Amino acid sequence: MAKEVKLILMAVTAVVLVSTRPAWAGGMKVIANPSVQAASITLAELKSVYMEEKNSLADGTHVQPVVAKGGAAHEIFLRMYLDRSDPALQIYYRSLVFTGKGSMPKAVQSDAEMVAYVAKTKGAIGYVTANASVEGVKVLEVK
Amino acid sequence: MKNRGRRSEPMTRRGKRPRQILMMVLLFFLFRAVPLPGQEFKLFERTVQVHGFASQGFIHTDENNWLTMNTARIGSGEFTDFGANASMQINDRFRVGAQLYDRNLGALGKWHPSLDWAMADYRFKTWLGFRGGKVKTTAGLYTDTQDLDFLHPFALLPQSVYPIDMRDATIGHFGGDVYGQVSLPYKIGSVGYTAFVGYREDSRFSGYPYLLSQYSTQVKGVNGLQHGVDLRWNTPLPGLLVGASRIDEDISTEGTTKLQVFGTTITMPLAAHSRQEWSNQFYGQYLHGRWEVAGEFRRYFADIRAVYFGQSLLEFEDARGWYVSGAYRVAKRWQFGSYYSRYTVASSGGGTDSNLPGNHVFDKVVSGRIDPNRFWNVRVEGHFMDGTGHLGVYPAGFYPQENPSGFKRNTNALVVKTGLNF
Repeated sequence: MAKEVKLILMAVTAVVLVSTRPAWAGGMKVIANPSVQAASITLAELKSVYMEEKNSLADGTHVQPVVAKGGAAHEIFLRMYLDRSDPALQIYYRSLVFTGKGSMPKAVQSDAEMVAYVAKTKGAIGYVTANASVEGVKVLEVK
Repeated sequence: MKNRGRRSEPMTRRGKRPRQILMMVLLFFLFRAVPLPGQEFKLFERTVQVHGFASQGFIHTDENNWLTMNTARIGSGEFTDFGANASMQINDRFRVGAQLYDRNLGALGKWHPSLDWAMADYRFKTWLGFRGGKVKTTAGLYTDTQDLDFLHPFALLPQSVYPIDMRDATIGHFGGDVYGQVSLPYKIGSVGYTAFVGYREDSRFSGYPYLLSQYSTQVKGVNGLQHGVDLRWNTPLPGLLVGASRIDEDISTEGTTKLQVFGTTITMPLAAHSRQEWSNQFYGQYLHGRWEVAGEFRRYFADIRAVYFGQSLLEFEDARGWYVSGAYRVAKRWQFGSYYSRYTVASSGGGTDSNLPGNHVFDKVVSGRIDPNRFWNVRVEGHFMDGTGHLGVYPAGFYPQENPSGFKRNTNALVVKTGLNF
């Protein structure tokens, strides 16, 4: 009986460990203002937009990044698309601001604030958790 | 016997007042832990962003006074700087802005504010943009951010490549840049380029004029034309960046030198002009998760014709510096780092033997950083230096004025620095 208990405990532990990994796929979605004509964006383009290396997409649409100040979507976005921690990203933006080579992107507190800002701002691109309401914005597929 | 140094001028009331005000502001925000978001306001329906920073440091050394401060007794807190900028996005492609900067570093800076940058930036395409005005120079990893320590893991960047006392010589130019980012085919990343032409003008309160002041020389100007290029490859490996920079310069130094002849002071003109002056820089950086690894090599060469007391002299300096650094973010607010920095100089004054302490500075550094919040940082850092590099034409952090009894070979330094930015 003790052996069976141990096996059950090990199985439960394994399930818990697996289930607490970050939800990479489907954990968040990239959204854009309806003025953004593209239905999809490449990973490289998305990263370039958030690194302020480019401010327009391949189709010529001007875009501006919006970042979250924290939260699950923010952590997933940083790891999946920018491969930087939040402190590293903040330092990067500040290096642009204090050398005159860029500006601090708009930062929002929540999914609701993100959707509201992206919906009303021409060219805005942001990200929210997978189950957030996306009324007023479009969802971009990341290729 | 420790070198006590000699104060070259008394602390003036003018110098004390800004420092006292800055300390009071820093202490206020530190104790209140007040968040300091960047400020925004509307002007002609355009958003203007305002940002600023301030930092205060303290250095203690066991031997040799360092960086023009009297660091070898109790230590020195004459290590302060601050700045503020405002910028506005006029339209999708056009941005303007400016930043003012001020500092006091021992005998350097002396609270003389300067225009750090002021420019108009037009981004025609992702692969083509233009900047004009007073522009921070893009070269190597940190040339344009070398005085913004809150952006780096370390209180002092490797002095072999980014000497804080020679900041003016590399950090910016009056002129124009062409820049852009080009995606490469076959998914091999992208290349960023910057090419510039400009005019360099060093402050009279920077390291080289101060070094010359030991010879009763007063420098009126160090300036001239420069042009350069920087290429950096964002490789297909996420987080890996490699690049190279080249700057060519044509720099003139003008001033006067006083000489005592039979009790009479004679003032003679001093002029120096570079016949050849350039720097090459190669660098790489890898950012992955909590890790930040970087390395650079910089070679600076100057072949100078100088005229002292009617005599024409040829001088040269061939300085080579490199470092490797690593930093690891233990937690969101904690980061530890270390670097090894190596600087050697061959010159007309010191010869070519880099084993001489006067011809090298080798620095081993360990550093810890804490960010109590997004706007406030504190660094504690240890430097373990071999050599003083003082035989070169240009300074390397150790000045005879602060070390009148001569130099000891090794210097260990404790650097503590705190700062705010918003």
